[in-house]
Amino acid sequence: MMDKPTTTLKAIESTPPLADLDRICDMQEGRMAGKIFWDSEIYEQELEKIFARCWLFVAHESQIPEPGDYVATTLGEDEVLVVRQKDRSIKVLINACPHRGNKVCFAEAGNARGFICNYHGWAFGPDGALRGMHESGVYEQSGFDKSRQGLREARVDSYKGLVFATFAADAPSLADYLGPMTWYLDVILDNDEGGTEFIGGCIRSTYECNWKIAAENFVGDILHAGWTHDSAAQAMLGGSVTKVSELPESYQVNWNGHGYEFARDLVGNAAVLGESAINKYLHLHSPKAAERLGEFRARMLGAVSSFTVFPNFSFLPGQNTVRVWQPRGPNKIELYTWVIVNRNAPAEVKEKWRRGAMMTFSPTGVFEMDDGENWEYCTKTSRGKVTRYQDLYVGLGMNSRLSDTELPGNVFRGQLNEANARAYYQRWKDLLQARTWAEVPDRNGKLD
Amino acid sequence: MNTLELVTLEEERAVQAFLLREARLLDEDRWDDWLLMVSERIHYWMPGIENRRREDARGGFNAEHMALFDDGYRELQRRVARFKQPSAWAEDPPTRNVHLISNIEVYAGENPGEYRAFSCFVNVRSRGLDEQYQIAGRREDVLCREGDGLKLLSRRILIPNATLPCKNINTFL
Repeated sequence: MMDKPTTTLKAIESTPPLADLDRICDMQEGRMAGKIFWDSEIYEQELEKIFARCWLFVAHESQIPEPGDYVATTLGEDEVLVVRQKDRSIKVLINACPHRGNKVCFAEAGNARGFICNYHGWAFGPDGALRGMHESGVYEQSGFDKSRQGLREARVDSYKGLVFATFAADAPSLADYLGPMTWYLDVILDNDEGGTEFIGGCIRSTYECNWKIAAENFVGDILHAGWTHDSAAQAMLGGSVTKVSELPESYQVNWNGHGYEFARDLVGNAAVLGESAINKYLHLHSPKAAERLGEFRARMLGAVSSFTVFPNFSFLPGQNTVRVWQPRGPNKIELYTWVIVNRNAPAEVKEKWRRGAMMTFSPTGVFEMDDGENWEYCTKTSRGKVTRYQDLYVGLGMNSRLSDTELPGNVFRGQLNEANARAYYQRWKDLLQARTWAEVPDRNGKLD
Repeated sequence: MNTLELVTLEEERAVQAFLLREARLLDEDRWDDWLLMVSERIHYWMPGIENRRREDARGGFNAEHMALFDDGYRELQRRVARFKQPSAWAEDPPTRNVHLISNIEVYAGENPGEYRAFSCFVNVRSRGLDEQYQIAGRREDVLCREGDGLKLLSRRILIPNATLPCKNINTFL
């Protein structure tokens, strides 16, 4: 890992926490209020205390292999460019000119020798340094210092191909931020010596829902699948989805609000793609994966499972869809999705995954259609002033914590559980209450 | 194929009627009847659109990019099967569709009995009491003669949007 706090950002003022957070979110009681999904004040607090502070996923290294390669994305609502440098390191630069703030790059991806602002022609290198501009002589006459006017930088670090960035100078290292959850992320990122890559670029869509309801779904809500997705399972498999309560072994695990839920049925998720070549690949690959990861994790490759890295980066093993729920107001998101595969997987298997993810979890995906409906109306009902303050139940699986396990993280028995959702919302609340990273309490080992 | 060869008025009218009937069947939720208009050799393709610079050789879309549809007949059948499930909760009450088809141009296809048709569409969907979504785009189709009628052999759908302005596309375009 590399971790160079090279930020040249001015810190933003910390605002006081909201007064009614206990009423909005009480995970000891397993309840929250609908207001958590519908409130512009809460949203402003989230932009400051979560999105300007946490490590956020920005790119997979395979998207920008060569110097000058870039992709555009956002950290919260802040637009950034993720740029491969000459020395192969990666910089994350705010995509706004330090002169009048205009966007300096309008493409979503490409290769560039630099970025030139359309407004007054300020020209920046791929490293963000200001190189010159239209009518540069007049700036020189006024004692202008070019070296102080580069594109602003966020902190960058990566974990096995996944690149993250944060605006917070006081944030813990990415390694500390992810903690022992990397043991589970390795199921996807490190089950093969060749590592992983993204294929097929990015698909974006727009939902009228709060960002947390989507992230929470992936942090640990397999419970919905058997009901919500019955029609899609019938269409793809000619039968219902796996009945999770009948799986012999399943878990929810979390740490710092990140959550991974999983069974050990190897192909439970992958099977819904209805592509025998993918099932075959997973069965053949599992013994190879076991050499790297051990028998336990080798049974998780395409299993009934999902995860969210707090706050808004999610993934479905098996379907291999990777996604960021980009916040766009309290009741709107843009969904960015990509497909991840093992770099060494056969080309025809990668192609099956590209199409399979499209067929299941994309805006035309037969599974995703039903999720969108649910999330939009979980959000919209809370516009009612009274409804907004009613309790929503988040109490499933209280007291299911396992203490006699060697699995890393906070481990809970059974996937049909809201333990990860509680840990997720607790982290959300802790961040909204804390004025600095140092004030964020460590809840690990203490959650129910 | 760079030359566009005109066809007879009668043929042009048959292709137009095909495209308009297809739109009506979709508006009436007659998915099985719609599938009968589709060749089992179909490639039904709607690539994702990338917002790239003009000089970028990759262009705005390509076959390797993620798609919204990249379907053969099996995939179309699966999508239809999902629409028809009693447990497709989100489709009850149903989505109401209007497919407007315009700018139809019909030319001879590469092979005998095939036609190349360009058209534009506007799809307006409404759901629930007040949800409305509108997608417009261009299509390029190849129609072929199979048995005693025309069938859709390939379709390429291009929308202008690099970000889909709605949550899903729960219809065919």
